[in-house]
Amino acid sequence: MASEDQVRSQCCFLEWMNLQEQELAELHQALNIHAATNSKENINLTQLAENCIKHFQDYADKRTQLARHDVSAFFAPAWCTNFENSLLWVAGCRPSQYIRLVYTLHGLEIEAQLIQFLEGIGDIKNLGELSSKQIHEINSLQGKTIRAEEKVTTRMAILQEDAADNPIVVIVMKELREVGEMNGKVERALDKHEQDMVGVLEEADRLRLTTLKELLAILTPRQAMGFLAASKQLHLCVHEWGKMRDFRHGRGNHNNLS
Amino acid sequence: MADICCGVVSESEASTPCEQSSRAARRRRMEIRRFKFVSGVSSPETENGPKRQKVEVYSRDCWNAVENSDSEEEKQVLVADTGRSESKDISISNQSSNKSISTGSLSPSTPVVPEASREYPKFGVASVCGRRRDMEDAVAIHPSFCRRDAETATELHYFGVYDGHGCSHVATKCKERLHELVKEELESKEEWKSAMEQSFWRMDKEAITWNDTVLGAKCRCELQSPECDAVGSTAVVAIVTSDKIIVANCGDSRAVLCRNGKPVPLSSDHKPDRPDELNRIQAAGGRVIYWDGPRVLGVLAMSRAIGDNYLKPYVSCEPEVSVTDRTAEDDCLILASDGLWDVVSNETACGVARMCLRGKAHAPLCSPMEDEVATSETSDKACSDASMLLTKLALARHSTDNVSVVVVDLRKAT
Repeated sequence: MASEDQVRSQCCFLEWMNLQEQELAELHQALNIHAATNSKENINLTQLAENCIKHFQDYADKRTQLARHDVSAFFAPAWCTNFENSLLWVAGCRPSQYIRLVYTLHGLEIEAQLIQFLEGIGDIKNLGELSSKQIHEINSLQGKTIRAEEKVTTRMAILQEDAADNPIVVIVMKELREVGEMNGKVERALDKHEQDMVGVLEEADRLRLTTLKELLAILTPRQAMGFLAASKQLHLCVHEWGKMRDFRHGRGNHNNLS
Repeated sequence: MADICCGVVSESEASTPCEQSSRAARRRRMEIRRFKFVSGVSSPETENGPKRQKVEVYSRDCWNAVENSDSEEEKQVLVADTGRSESKDISISNQSSNKSISTGSLSPSTPVVPEASREYPKFGVASVCGRRRDMEDAVAIHPSFCRRDAETATELHYFGVYDGHGCSHVATKCKERLHELVKEELESKEEWKSAMEQSFWRMDKEAITWNDTVLGAKCRCELQSPECDAVGSTAVVAIVTSDKIIVANCGDSRAVLCRNGKPVPLSSDHKPDRPDELNRIQAAGGRVIYWDGPRVLGVLAMSRAIGDNYLKPYVSCEPEVSVTDRTAEDDCLILASDGLWDVVSNETACGVARMCLRGKAHAPLCSPMEDEVATSETSDKACSDASMLLTKLALARHSTDNVSVVVVDLRKAT
């Protein structure tokens, strides 16, 4: 039996994934047009990137609202595959993954360009999609992001350790007679714990969003499109692959709650 | 600080490589007395006047801040960043007669270079964290860091790359101190080899005693024993004079000379499975165990390093020193951490660096629009481009380590 909260949370996620597919199609279309017309017109691209950020913000806001009722669900979501859940960092992706993705994407073309460059055909400034300045900026964003990530991770660690501390331990050892018993104190302690988890979730979402915004600001509009398209494609792929692998292991259908 | 594009430009070299009168060139060089530090923007006052050489430091950010300049902007950057010691991973200094330039707002007429002819090498630096979560590389560059009586005609220029392991603090310490120790030793010793060996030995001692004495370190290990005994750093140091290149190496960073487009390695990596190193380790009673590659006592994947007290004497701090005469065919010198060498061969690195330097020789004076910081200067850009391109190549080839690359232009102007 699915609770109302869980249905709402799952819907929120499914809507988000549908939106990802939609955005991916739009991004691909825009990139194709851009490539075909070799347009200097970046306004459309910039608008698209802004929309993506806006949608991400909306999703995070909605999730936070839902998390206030049932935060634990987001840390191990039943609507995601086991594989996806194994990749989660505080109920989402690691912001430092964005930087990895940029580094990897920008390196995809470099080998072919390098051969040309060494033969004196290519031009240095076209070599590798990122300029020196962008590398500096990405490198410093990476440093900042990793440090911020570590802070959130530490907050999470403390919360998890707190679960083996007072008041929960006192209640378990002194007040309850058997496993599974609950009382008002337990409820209050667990509510407090979940409330703190919402705080961590919010902080993690904030970091994801600011990292994404700062990264997109470093990239050119076209690079930003390429990055967004790749990240969405990767996300959707991981979701689908996860389903297949879960199925192979005899785990059921993720889209139906029973 | 992702990287500093720093170069010293001599316009007489950059724009008129075949300047007829070497006397005129010399006169120009003698007039040079001004440095200009630029953070982010270049200043118009450098357009005219007799200042033909200048040093520019471009600093863009905070992760690994620049330390050579006390300009307000960079100070703020450092303050904002004191959370971790990795924030300081490149230092470039300019010293003349023990007087270091430490202000970003030098008055244009302040003579900071004595009335002597000095030829600065052009160089470029790039250093990024890459696919690691910690920055443990450090780079130190000190043009004209020292002079020797025996070689009055020439200034010595110092370039060092340090790749830390375990934590960043030994590499940071090397960046802060090793050039000073080398200077002291060079001033008192005639012989290159013993001077370099002695300075590495002293660096090692300092790194170890420093571990024991400093409190409240800002690095990851916070110098807590016993963890900080397992911290060390490679050091590859090149001293460039007007006619020689002296390289001292300890560990698996590397110096490669690009001569006529072909690589000439000036150092040999200290890997535990190098036959002579393996013998040395075994003779000292140590063992090399294969655990994800050959490692000293199954721990450290290099056979020499500064620090690593718990692996002494099997891991030695003694550098191998090479002295190479410069020739007219020398293009450039590349110093880099294994983040580069693991994925880019010496040949490719030389090819890339050479193309960058050459490309600049006949390219119009325009730079990629995104590098607006460098529009007024071009020849140092060639070295910066080379170091950055090599760094990008390492990232593209999935280097899993920090990547630090220094490229020094060795071409003679005449």
